[in-house]
Amino acid sequence: MPRAIRGVLVECDPSIKSIIVKIDSEEHAYVVEELDDQTLVIQENMLPLLKARLDDALKETQQPADDSGSD
Amino acid sequence: MMSVSTLASFDYLERLPGTTFRRLYQQPSTSLAIFRRMLPHLAKTFVMALLYMSKPLPLTDLDLWVQPSSKRQKDQALSLLSRLNIVTITAPSREDPQVVSLTKNFKSALQLALTGGGDHQSFGVPSSDVIEDVDLRFLDEYARDQWEGILHYVVNSVGDGMRQDGQGPTLAVKDLLEAGKLVTKGRHSGGGITQAGFSFLLQEVNAQVWTLLLLWIENAEKMSMDHVEVLSFLFMLGSLELGRAYNTTTLTESQQRMLGHLVDFGLVYIPPSTPTQFFPTRLATTLTSDASALRSVSAGFDAALTAATGSKGFIIIETNYRLYAYTSSPLQIAVLSLFTKLSSRYPNMVSGRITRESIRQAISHGITSDQIISYLTTHAHPQLFKTAAAQAGGPVLPPTVVDQIRLWQIENERMKATPGFLFKEFENQKEYEGCAKYADEIGVLVWKSDAKRMFFVTRHEQLRDHIKSRKAK
Repeated sequence: MPRAIRGVLVECDPSIKSIIVKIDSEEHAYVVEELDDQTLVIQENMLPLLKARLDDALKETQQPADDSGSD
Repeated sequence: MMSVSTLASFDYLERLPGTTFRRLYQQPSTSLAIFRRMLPHLAKTFVMALLYMSKPLPLTDLDLWVQPSSKRQKDQALSLLSRLNIVTITAPSREDPQVVSLTKNFKSALQLALTGGGDHQSFGVPSSDVIEDVDLRFLDEYARDQWEGILHYVVNSVGDGMRQDGQGPTLAVKDLLEAGKLVTKGRHSGGGITQAGFSFLLQEVNAQVWTLLLLWIENAEKMSMDHVEVLSFLFMLGSLELGRAYNTTTLTESQQRMLGHLVDFGLVYIPPSTPTQFFPTRLATTLTSDASALRSVSAGFDAALTAATGSKGFIIIETNYRLYAYTSSPLQIAVLSLFTKLSSRYPNMVSGRITRESIRQAISHGITSDQIISYLTTHAHPQLFKTAAAQAGGPVLPPTVVDQIRLWQIENERMKATPGFLFKEFENQKEYEGCAKYADEIGVLVWKSDAKRMFFVTRHEQLRDHIKSRKAK
């Protein structure tokens, strides 16, 4: 009999996926199953928290693009 | 093509338990409304064929009606019909072949609705007294004012100093909007509109009405109203005739209470002089019209909307991301300000720029780039259309701007999340393939990996039944 597991399928770039895996490696609270380079299944109730942590992680690595431009 | 509203009301209906359906289908108006509004053509054909069939039909016979190449459509139609409790299909067993039949209540109610008869009063009782000063124009205007008041309230919750004077929606409506998380009161400085509120704002009118009504139904249980009664009442309203007065005296007590709320939404009008009458407005009578009729009716409503607020197309956008909008409607300006950095306002025009920051802000509220682009396209100034036509049907909006808006969204949207169920640990390749194929046919499959023998689906109930029935064989 096959098993069914509730969760959220997340599709993203490999780079984003590796960040998610890194976040998960600290407490193992997010990822249910890693499927491939660009897909994984995570806990449904942890999605908002994961998004917030992902944003934090990306803020450290990314420069905000220049957005001046005169009117 | 199904509209957003159909899908929203669908999702709600599919979650209802079978007993609720049995009660809902007692009303001929409800059965007719669900039949004509919610079902795709193939499903309608099945229902009509089964309607006067005295004995259940073997599924194998039904298969003969459909081309083998359309098996997928047939399965989807049948699965929808059984989710909506319109048909019952017997469980598969070794001895008897599977048979399909219409559920009893639905069958008799639809027969009544189509051929008439009975004293169910489920299509309303017209009032014989005629009031002179209520005509279509008046009703349209009334509905528009009420509805715009609600939209204004949602937009203004962003609170950038464009607060409209005037009364706005009633307290009950405001509470409802908040309960439905379309707005939140005084949280972060960004203001009170939420993700849901944003998409609400950009929907077409009919979809907006349904969204609000479904919220209302969900909250109706708290207000000690029975949701079955509310739903049947709404479906009844959808079958009424525009511009005609109906009696309130034949309504039940709780229906009369509902009428009060519907006045707040602008779905019905009760003349102050004769409170025993009510008029459904266009918002109410288009609730359950089928898709093709809906388009023209909602176009009529849009025309009524734009008649007061100026011509339909008013936005000019240049390749340098500058935007000029020839409008003085606070509602339209407020909507624009959700994703544009507006800089100056003139008596008949506002100007501004679409910037990375302004799009980012909109996206953080949950609005999508496609919504922005479609809003800009539908409201593009005739001049833009003329230029596009001159280039032999070129794009209406400058392609650079459209691409950039999409890129800005991708930049911010790093992952796509789909809730559902992961199926794994299949015993063998054959079982895996059969299930994955079935999941694909009923339209729930989102991801699969043949190598790992796993797949991901958005719903699991039918698949579970399918797996069980395979085991039984």
